[in-house]
Amino acid sequence: MSLKARHRDLLPALGFLAPNFLGFIVFTVGPVLFSLAVSFTNWNLQRTVPFRWIGLEGFGEMFRSQDFWLYFLNTAYFMLGIPLAIVGALGLALLLSRPLRGVVVYRTMFYLPTFTSGVALMILWKALYNPDFGPINAVISHLTGLTPPQWLLSTCNLVGLDVERVGLTMKQWGLGARDAIIIMGIWIAIGGNNMLLYLAALSNVPLELYEAAEIDGASRWQAFCHVTWPQLAPTTFFIVVMSFIGGLQGGFEQARVMTQGGPAGTTTTLAYYIYTKAFEEFQIGYASSVAWVLFVMIFAITLVNWRFGAKQLNY
Amino acid sequence: MKHLFAIALVVMGLLSVVAWAIRPKPVAEGKVMLAWVSDDNPARREQIAVFNRLHPDLHLDLDPTNGGMEKVIVQSIGGVGPDLFDCYSGFDLSAYVRSGIAWDVTDALAKSGIDVKREAWSAAWPNVLYEGRTYGFPTNACTNALWINKDLFDQCGVPYPKGPWTWEEFIPIAQKLTVRDASGRMRHFGLLCDWWNWPEFILQWGGRLYSEDGTRCVVDSPEAGAAIQFMQDLIYKYKVMPSPVEEAAMSSQGGWGSGSITFFGGGKGAMATGGRWWLCTLRTYEKLRLGAVESPHEKRRVFRGYGRATLVNRASPRREEALEFIKYMAGKDYNDLISHQADSLAPVKKYSYTPEYLHDPAYPGEDYNEVWREVLELSEPDPISPFINGNAAGRIFTKQMDLVKNGQKSGAEAMKDAARLINEEIQKTLQIDPELRARYEAIVAKGKP
Repeated sequence: MSLKARHRDLLPALGFLAPNFLGFIVFTVGPVLFSLAVSFTNWNLQRTVPFRWIGLEGFGEMFRSQDFWLYFLNTAYFMLGIPLAIVGALGLALLLSRPLRGVVVYRTMFYLPTFTSGVALMILWKALYNPDFGPINAVISHLTGLTPPQWLLSTCNLVGLDVERVGLTMKQWGLGARDAIIIMGIWIAIGGNNMLLYLAALSNVPLELYEAAEIDGASRWQAFCHVTWPQLAPTTFFIVVMSFIGGLQGGFEQARVMTQGGPAGTTTTLAYYIYTKAFEEFQIGYASSVAWVLFVMIFAITLVNWRFGAKQLNY
Repeated sequence: MKHLFAIALVVMGLLSVVAWAIRPKPVAEGKVMLAWVSDDNPARREQIAVFNRLHPDLHLDLDPTNGGMEKVIVQSIGGVGPDLFDCYSGFDLSAYVRSGIAWDVTDALAKSGIDVKREAWSAAWPNVLYEGRTYGFPTNACTNALWINKDLFDQCGVPYPKGPWTWEEFIPIAQKLTVRDASGRMRHFGLLCDWWNWPEFILQWGGRLYSEDGTRCVVDSPEAGAAIQFMQDLIYKYKVMPSPVEEAAMSSQGGWGSGSITFFGGGKGAMATGGRWWLCTLRTYEKLRLGAVESPHEKRRVFRGYGRATLVNRASPRREEALEFIKYMAGKDYNDLISHQADSLAPVKKYSYTPEYLHDPAYPGEDYNEVWREVLELSEPDPISPFINGNAAGRIFTKQMDLVKNGQKSGAEAMKDAARLINEEIQKTLQIDPELRARYEAIVAKGKP
């Protein structure tokens, strides 16, 4: 195409792009930059609090706040489910990439949680976790004869995080609300978009590599370790990066629908903390500070992932 | 391709014009449309229907989807708030006023001869009166008494209790009424009591939530600790009330007409602490033989007064019309309807002293209506401190109550921590709000010798 023809097409192209671009500026970039400015203020929806620039004061208050660190730990704890979710998604993708009869039906069934309403799923899981008549505890009691966990009602967790201070305590060791939410998250994630990404990536692994491995006498496990896994590395890398971003931003829906952040604040994540500070306590400036610190964390972790993760990619 | 895109753009534009032209017309042509953010239930719809009938030039619609203080405030500041909205506590009112959302209707109501203090139950005042000004009218007035399931009493051979009585007298009766089946599963509890009633226990034990001037949280008193400990004991020591696990076993998803009310209606509790408004649901349990008595008390024979009010949005372009609804709530039609619906007690006190209130011909079995008005006379509204955001205080109390309810902390420990955290939060509020700080300093200086 000649340069003149390209210039002639530029205007209509920009015209078609403009509505979307304007929308992005007005509804995304604008509010994001606005919230950055707000994070340096004491903006409070109560009119008796005079608006003023406070610089980094809000950030200082946040780092001194015990709540911030407790909810940061909750967020980090929820992210412990990420490796399991990734391994599960890969395992399922490996199964569903086999030439099984009715495989399309299986794929659809496993993908169901992704296009089902999140709220509906959470209400369903709330019933499943019911300590008295929930089917999960019924199975645990039947199989083990032990007292089953209280799930969403319990402040316990598998590493013994304390409820009221940053630290560990044996008193809190066990299965509780945080673990219940992690298990639900793994269940949703296993059949979700990660599985689809792995399925697509598996279909792109050249068959010649498997044939060569077979000729060399490689077992199935060796073929997986030396052919499949390296070939999937770019997809795994993408999934890890996206899972970390999602994990740091997550927990709002679960807290809102299932636990209201409880019991005793154990399922309050940073995302839910931002909501309560902004819209229940009206501290918009402070909430924006937390939101921007969350953004910096996500950005830093993504950079680290790129810096060290990308080095491992051979393909 | 270029032409195809251009045609697509024109077609979309035309379709938008068509969609605009055929958009649904307002249901009531020529009427002023008003939106009321409130909870959705059959009683509310009937209250609206009567208002619309009495005001043919207005059309009030219920908006149940935008409830909650945060939504009302944020939407109103954004210029898309409702015309009327509900207010559930003194803290909510202070937040609405301080956000500039609530409209001061003091003069407008005075012109119509309406005086909240003269007419409405005192338990409902904090929801509409703020620093001497009036911002709405109570929608109803509530207090708790003890519902009793007469069939369960008869089955256990326990005579129906009569108030006034104490918690000490209550315990052995509740224990007799707590029955398990042969496998150890609970058949019914002696008492069902929602944990959000905890301030009533503190009041009865002689404690306070805040100092009289509101400058300090004082739940670290021995009285408050003992009160919360008693609530825990009802579960774990006396075993007459469900634990969180047992509660979850019975629970549904929340919202109007659920939770303890449905457990009680389903025969899972012989007694239950609740308001007259429970009848809105309990009336649907046709076989339930109900009674109501005054709740037990401890040192002080005092009960928790609460309720709802409706306020007008200061930013509404239809606020003059919305004011008609406030006046309607002070009138006979509305108040008689509330009494009849049993949506608690009518906000205007005198309408609870009518023969129709005592014995509604439509519900001849309800012979206990006298209890509610007697108890409401003894009720006190939930105390608040102007120096702390009520939601922040609520978050702290909820966390501590969760730990007590789960048996992880004693009442005294939890209340000690709650007081410390709330007092810290008060100091933080004073740092950011100079108006409150000035008021606080003035109070503290006045209190010094």
